[in-house]
Order: sequence, then structure tokens, then C-alpha cells
Amino acid sequence: MSEEKEKTKEDFEPKIVGFLCNWCSYAGADLAGTSRIQYPPNIRVIRVMCSGAVDSVYVNRALLEGADAVFIGGCHPGDCHYLNGNYKARRKMVLLKNILTTLGMEPERIWVRWISASEGQKFADTVKEIVDETKKLGPNPMKEKWNI
Amino acid sequence: MIYGLKIENDVPKTVNNFLKQLLESGKVEAVLAMQETPSGRSAFPTMISDPDKLDTNVFAPLLPVSTGAMVSRLTKVKGSKKPLAVVLRACELRALTELLKLKQADLENIVLIGVDCLGTFPMKIYSNYPGDEDPTEVVLKGEGEEDMRTACLNCKDPVPETADLIIGIFGTDTGKSILLDTRTEKGQELINDMGLSEFGNEKDREKAVLDIRNKRDEARKAFMEEHSDIIGVEKLLEFFDTCVNCHNCMKACPICYCRECLFESDVFDVEASKYMAKAKSKGAYKTPTDSLLFHITRFNHMILSCVECGLCEQACPSDIPLMDIITAIAENAQAEFEYLPGRDPEEEMPMVVYREDEFQDVGEG
Amino acid sequence: MSEEFEPSVVAFLCNWCSYAGADLAGTSRLKYPDNVRSIRVMCSGRVDPVFVLDALKEGIDGVLVAGCHPGDCHYQSGNYKTNRKMMLIKKLLADFNIDPDRLRFEYISASEGQKFADVVTEFVSTLKAIGPNPLKDECL
Repeated sequence: MSEEKEKTKEDFEPKIVGFLCNWCSYAGADLAGTSRIQYPPNIRVIRVMCSGAVDSVYVNRALLEGADAVFIGGCHPGDCHYLNGNYKARRKMVLLKNILTTLGMEPERIWVRWISASEGQKFADTVKEIVDETKKLGPNPMKEKWNI
Repeated sequence: MIYGLKIENDVPKTVNNFLKQLLESGKVEAVLAMQETPSGRSAFPTMISDPDKLDTNVFAPLLPVSTGAMVSRLTKVKGSKKPLAVVLRACELRALTELLKLKQADLENIVLIGVDCLGTFPMKIYSNYPGDEDPTEVVLKGEGEEDMRTACLNCKDPVPETADLIIGIFGTDTGKSILLDTRTEKGQELINDMGLSEFGNEKDREKAVLDIRNKRDEARKAFMEEHSDIIGVEKLLEFFDTCVNCHNCMKACPICYCRECLFESDVFDVEASKYMAKAKSKGAYKTPTDSLLFHITRFNHMILSCVECGLCEQACPSDIPLMDIITAIAENAQAEFEYLPGRDPEEEMPMVVYREDEFQDVGEG
Repeated sequence: MSEEFEPSVVAFLCNWCSYAGADLAGTSRLKYPDNVRSIRVMCSGRVDPVFVLDALKEGIDGVLVAGCHPGDCHYQSGNYKTNRKMMLIKKLLADFNIDPDRLRFEYISASEGQKFADVVTEFVSTLKAIGPNPLKDECL
């Protein structure tokens, strides 16, 4: 049993949900693809019009359903297509992380990064970093919780 | 200015007479204040226009609903055309202040009369108060703490600082007189021609207010320490184990103002196949679904404005002691943004403003 | 005192029959007590129990609901359903110690101006005998 568990942790492939803003990060991810930059296939991307549109409920839902990490990608500060959506996204995620910290619910599974449309490489690197760090963290315990 | 209000008969009657004077003088068209129901088993914020039906007890130690939310309901569509005096406690005033920021209330023609709060009992205890004693007399004597709601024992501030006029108890000799503290011109106008004399014991008042604040602060710290063990997935699931997903906490919350909560919207009306997918993803899935998601998301949506009135806890049919965790969540989240709900009507809510150079550790790296 | 009491009546009249019947009573210059306030509804089936209860709660002395005769409903079955609904409310009213006679359901066709006038006259005298609605002074 313990052997099996260790094996899972070693080979475990994290599932990452990514919310990428339409104007920067999504285009950045696209560039990574068209430039044939290799990055781990662990991320499922959801395009949102602005990182500011990512409500805590999306992140919470992904985490409670067992996603191992959630990634929110927005434009660099000052570059938001809607002027300040990314600043507000930052505040929202600070709040969410703060609450999860108080509750002891692994806020480190939430990642926020600013990735512009030209930063295909940064996108690939970020995904790789998230996958590596999440592997160290191990699978999301919520994956097994049916009584939520 | 702080004036003294001489006690005739008893404290609640004195305040009732004061409100009656306001009503009869025509300065206000109606009063919204706690009035005991005929059975005496409960009291509710009641709109009273007829001086003969004015039989208020603003010190009734009970918080059935938040008067702040009631003012929102009365004025959300349009401000009041005629002057209305609203009597409320500190937590209710804080809730109203937050609702004002959210544009859910209009204070046109409304005078806010705050009352010092001595603490409240749960509805279940108030309505069947043991013995022959009157619960109001008990709290006016400074007793009854053992029965009080946790929210009250840990109250951040029982003095309604931002009211137009404060009816003060702390630092007064309730056998002789209580005080009227006018904080705005609106409040001053109410009592201008009543021929009241100055209170004179400002020092006593200051000290008593400081004392009660310190006492509550300490209780609050000890309370948070005591419940700091509710942390981590296992403990949290255990804490919410008895939640039946009725959303009563949200309905009772004065801050949860959304006309249609996301959790009661079509978003969560999904076809059977989605439930099947949930069941398959984890092998088993409890129904109703999304209880924990509801609570954590609700905290995200309201906690920065949480005035810690404890109405959520009082509304829970499963008696989940919500304040055990909400106190710490509110404390930490509000500290992160250096925000105190209800402190100042002009203060901007944290989620509508930002600074370019803040929280650099989130987003970079 | 009781002689002076003029009961207030709210009447929900269906568009196709009873409202036309009331209209006929008027155009035919039939006399009936002026205690009644008519509210036109598209079908008596539109009268939700809450309308009746709310009227009584607010202190109205009597509620009249009138629809087409059985078989004549413009929407086939609205009046049958209303009949059942009103029966149920009457039972509930009795349970709450409110005189069930404060609620009256009648079939009145578009040609029955006289019947409308008679029903109203009779209903008002019934209500006078029952007396004022005790809920008038309650803050509910």
C-alpha cells in the first residue's frame, strides 16, 4: 500500500487549470504553440476576456474538484486591455490566498503570472515551473474527497 | 456635544419617550426601532408613525435581523421622502455603511440614531428567557454574558461611532441618566430645542468605552486562539459536515445583497450528466453538491465587508458555529487590505480600488 | 355602529365573462352597492391564492372571485381549477379562524348583469352581518 502510494507521488502528473486572458496570456500561449516551444501537456487552458473576470468561485471550484494547481495569466501591470483588470485580479487572488491560508487549504496551488502576447517562452517556462513545483507538493487531497 | 438624558421610570421607557418627542414634534415622520411583539417573545425593527403605538425597547438584547439590511430594503429603490429616524446598534450601522458603499441604500431624509450595544442573546434564549427576569433588565445591569451570542462577546466595537446621534449607556449611571452624543448637524437638530443639559462626565464615558473595547478585544483574541485548530482540509470538512446547503447564512447576512446569488442561479442548474460526471470523477459524490464551494466562495465575496454580526450563525438550522472560523478569516483578510468595514462611509472598498505597486509577490516571479 | 359599517370588497373578475357581466350591469343601470373594487384578470384561473390572502391580510372585508360558467372558460379549464383553489382557501381560512364566507366564488357570464348585481348585493349584506375584518388593525 505504502509502496503504491509512493509510486503515485513519483509518477503523478498534475492537472492544471489555466485561466488566460484573451489579450495577452492566451496569445502568449498561442505563440508558444506556433513557435513549437515544448512545454508539459498538464495544463488545460480556459480563455477569459480578462484576468479580472476570474472570480474566486472558478478557482475554488477547480481546486475542490481536485485540480492540482490553478494558473491565472494576465497582461503585465499597466498593459491591461481594460486598463486595470489585472490589478483587480491581483487583489482578488491576494484575498483568496489569504482566506485559504487562514483555512489551511494550500494557497500555493494558485499561481498568478503576467505573460504578454510576445512571451511564448515565458508561458512555456511558467507551465514547466508550475508542473515541477506541483509535483513536489503532491496531488491535491481534494481529489479523494467526495463529501464536499 | 454630549448631553445627559434624565431617566424617568426605566432606561428603555426614557428612550421611548425621547423618540416619542421626536415623533410628536414632527421632526421625524416615523421611527424605525426595535419594538417588542405583543407576546413579548421577540422584538423587531418596526416602522412606527403613530406616537400612540410607539412602545419601543431599543435595548432589547436581540438581533433578529440587521436593521442595516432593513434600511437598505426601505430605501434601495429611492430615498425616503419624509424624515425617518432609524435606531440601530453598532454592527447594524456598520452593515448599513457597507451597503451604502455598495449603493444598496439611500440616507436621504434618514437620521441615524445609534445605541450602545450591551450584547444580544440568541433568539432561542431570548424568546424563552429563563426565570422571571426581563432580558433587557439583565443586560442593563451588565449581566447575562454567559448566554450571549459569541458574535457579541467578541464584538469589535459596541459603540455606533458614525451615527448622527448616539444614545450612550457606557459610562453612565443608568439609575440617573444616560447620554445623548450628537455627532453631526443632523443629530444636533433633533435635540436642539429639548432643553437638555450637558452630560458633564465625559471622562467616565471615555474610560468606560475604552474598557469595554479592551475587554471585547481580549475576548476576541482568546476566542480566535481557542479555535485556531480548525485548519486544514480534514478539519474544515468536519466543521461543515452538518451543512445542509440551505443558504440561510447567506440570506441572513446583511452584506450578501445580491438579488440572485450565483449559487441559486442557473449556473448550478445542470443536467443529470454533469452530476454523473462528478460521481465518476471521484467515484462518489455527496448531494447536495457544492456545499464547501458555497461557503468558501461566500467568504471571498463578503468577508472584507463582514461586520461580524453573527446573523449567519444564528440562522444556521444545523447550529454550525460559523463565527468560530469567520472571526479569524475576517480578521486576517481585512488586515491584509488595511480595511475595517463600517469604519468610515467615505473609505473605498478594497475590491474596487488598487495601487500599482502593491502585492508584488503575486504575479511576478 | 354596525349599521354604519361599510365593508370593503375586492372583486377579481375574469376578462371574458364576469368582467363583461359587471360592465353589462353598469350599462344597464342596475343598482348594486358601491363597496366593490373590481380588478380585471384574464381568467379566474389567474387568481393566485396569495391575492386573496394578501387582500384579507391588508384588512379587506371580503373577496369575490368570479369566472365563466363551467364549460365556458376561454382557456378551457381555468374556472374548474379556480373552483378547487377557492375551496382549498376556504378550508385554510377556517383553520386560521377567519370566516370562510369572506371569500366567495361565483360563475357569472357576460350576459348576467343582473346576477352580478345580485351577487354583490348579497355578498355585501353577508359581510355586514359578519362584521369588519379583525386583521384591519393588525400589523402583519
